[in-house]
Amino acid sequence: MSLGGAGRGGDIAVVGWAHTPLVRHTDKSETQMLMDAISDALDPLGLTRADIDFTCLGSCDYITGQAFSFVSNLDAIGAWPPKRDSHVEMDGAWALYEAWLRLQEGDIEIAVVTGSGRSSTGDPSLIYPMEMDPYFLAPLGADPLTFAALQARAVIKAGIADERKMAEVAVRARGKGDVDALLTEEYMRQPLRRHDVPPITDGAAAMVLTTGDRARQLVDRPAYITGFDHRTECHNPSFRALDDSPSTRLAAEAAGLGDGPVEIAELQAAFTHEELLLARVLGLGGDVAVNPSGGALRANPIMATGLCRIGYAANHIRDGGHRALAHSTSGPCLQQNLVCILEDTP
Amino acid sequence: MTRFVANTITFPYKRSLGPVVGAFMTAMTERRILGIRNGDQVLVPPMEWDPATGAELAHEFVEVGPAGTVTSWTWVPSPSEQHPLDHPFAFALIQLDGATTPLLHAVDAGSPETLTEGARVAPRWRGTRLGRIDDIVCFVPGETPEVEGVDTGPAGEPVARMDYLASITYRNPVPDATDRATEASKEHRLLGLRCPTCGRVYAGGRGYCPIDAIELGPDCEVDLPHTGTITNYAIVTPVQYPGQTETEPFVRAFVLLDGTDVIVPYSAVIELPADEMRVGVRVAAVWASPAEEIDEGGGMGGAWGALVGWIPSGEPDVNDPDLVNRIF
Repeated sequence: MSLGGAGRGGDIAVVGWAHTPLVRHTDKSETQMLMDAISDALDPLGLTRADIDFTCLGSCDYITGQAFSFVSNLDAIGAWPPKRDSHVEMDGAWALYEAWLRLQEGDIEIAVVTGSGRSSTGDPSLIYPMEMDPYFLAPLGADPLTFAALQARAVIKAGIADERKMAEVAVRARGKGDVDALLTEEYMRQPLRRHDVPPITDGAAAMVLTTGDRARQLVDRPAYITGFDHRTECHNPSFRALDDSPSTRLAAEAAGLGDGPVEIAELQAAFTHEELLLARVLGLGGDVAVNPSGGALRANPIMATGLCRIGYAANHIRDGGHRALAHSTSGPCLQQNLVCILEDTP
Repeated sequence: MTRFVANTITFPYKRSLGPVVGAFMTAMTERRILGIRNGDQVLVPPMEWDPATGAELAHEFVEVGPAGTVTSWTWVPSPSEQHPLDHPFAFALIQLDGATTPLLHAVDAGSPETLTEGARVAPRWRGTRLGRIDDIVCFVPGETPEVEGVDTGPAGEPVARMDYLASITYRNPVPDATDRATEASKEHRLLGLRCPTCGRVYAGGRGYCPIDAIELGPDCEVDLPHTGTITNYAIVTPVQYPGQTETEPFVRAFVLLDGTDVIVPYSAVIELPADEMRVGVRVAAVWASPAEEIDEGGGMGGAWGALVGWIPSGEPDVNDPDLVNRIF
């Protein structure tokens, strides 16, 4: 195994993944959702929890409303005898990044990563301000919808989007609706209408990652991770150009997006204008299918939304595709961005 | 039908401000707004570091505003309880005169039709200012700052800390196994669940085996003994955070139930002073009478229901050096 340049990994692949039903409201606890997702990811591979060498879970205490909620989530991984385990207070896509790094040590073969969240538990407009700048933004109750609206206005002003194009994104993502009718709806936060905004979704996803030799034993078409990088920008959107996403551009360059064409791009765009901005920044042409899964506008299980993007990109490889891009994001106005390139050959 | 329970959690943070944010907040009490110089730029709100490079900035403050220009905005038709105003308003990016970056704040603009990019706005100050970003209630159209109510003047000394209090209500499902254990506790039964795969038994209404990761239903229920041995403990000296009702040091003990591998964690122990607590004490369960029961149960909370805790049984201590390791 050899390590490539910045963001290029060794011979490591996604061999399977699963998600729970992605629904507006579930009766299951986060731990129960994870139990289902992990079993559903392992079973088709003929693996059990005893085969897992390393786990990394992505979740968020503020969403759960419980300190150290990841401790009870460990019940889902069968951590006896004790396992090598880690946690990120981030989307499961970043848990995957940590597992990808860990597997490059070369001493272990199989990792499971998860992302999980029950957004229905509380009111997102009250929870997320607590994650903003605590001195200047949180005391104003600055909510995600407000930040998204301010970014949408900047993206429209730059000519990258308009309200009609945004409605077209919503109709395509959800596979329903009429653009002209949607444009007559009231604004939630000008220029955003309800169709521009993601649903509130409960859900969990689990993904199995292995080194290359093991991957080829387990499945016919592993999705090799050939590039992986994430970058962040200043925490306060006031200090950023909201009609651009330089961290996405840098992450894509480091992950090697420019080394060849991709057939699909799964972008974590929770708001319609984010998809248009990200496609522009990544230089995706009309021949690239953007969010064939429906993306975050169809289902937005926060803390698992990004991991699901990587999962759908891996499905594309499994089903005969050659190269796919997956993206995840975190923070207000696309503050931090992650790009993962998946291919059918290492 | 799964039962849901609502919990309201408050987050009472006290934040130290440091030399840059502290200077800004102190100036706010004087009805002055400070930026910080970063090369040709004046950053508002001031940062300790260059947002692009992370280089530390010299503490060269520049007074800006108080009036400014709206560079972008969005209308909030239904304010939340955390928002600065309780009627519809705009959140706007406001470039204060002399600043090169915009500040996010509320604008009390009446209706979205009256607000445009390029609109001029000025602060409406609170009469009593504490050194917070919301010492400015909001901005109002025009060039002239306002003060709401009686002006009680600037802070007597530099502002070094700010309080932040958020309150969030969460609704979470209660697992059926928890409800069954709570109900059984009212009949003074300590309910366990035996995993059919590994044979391990769990108490506390946990509805699954964490080793085998399978659900444990009513067919897995077993009755557990009401006697055991203290394996380990902590003496907690209460810190008076909001919501803390304890005032004196108290014990939380781990109890190994007789003839099982089941540990009841974080248990209250009555009629045993904290300074007489020790590993190996034999104990028996104490149950609340129906009259003593409170909403949260007998005192331990959650699925333990009417179990108040444990009382020394008077039997001789167990002398086993391995006991202390049993906390799971």
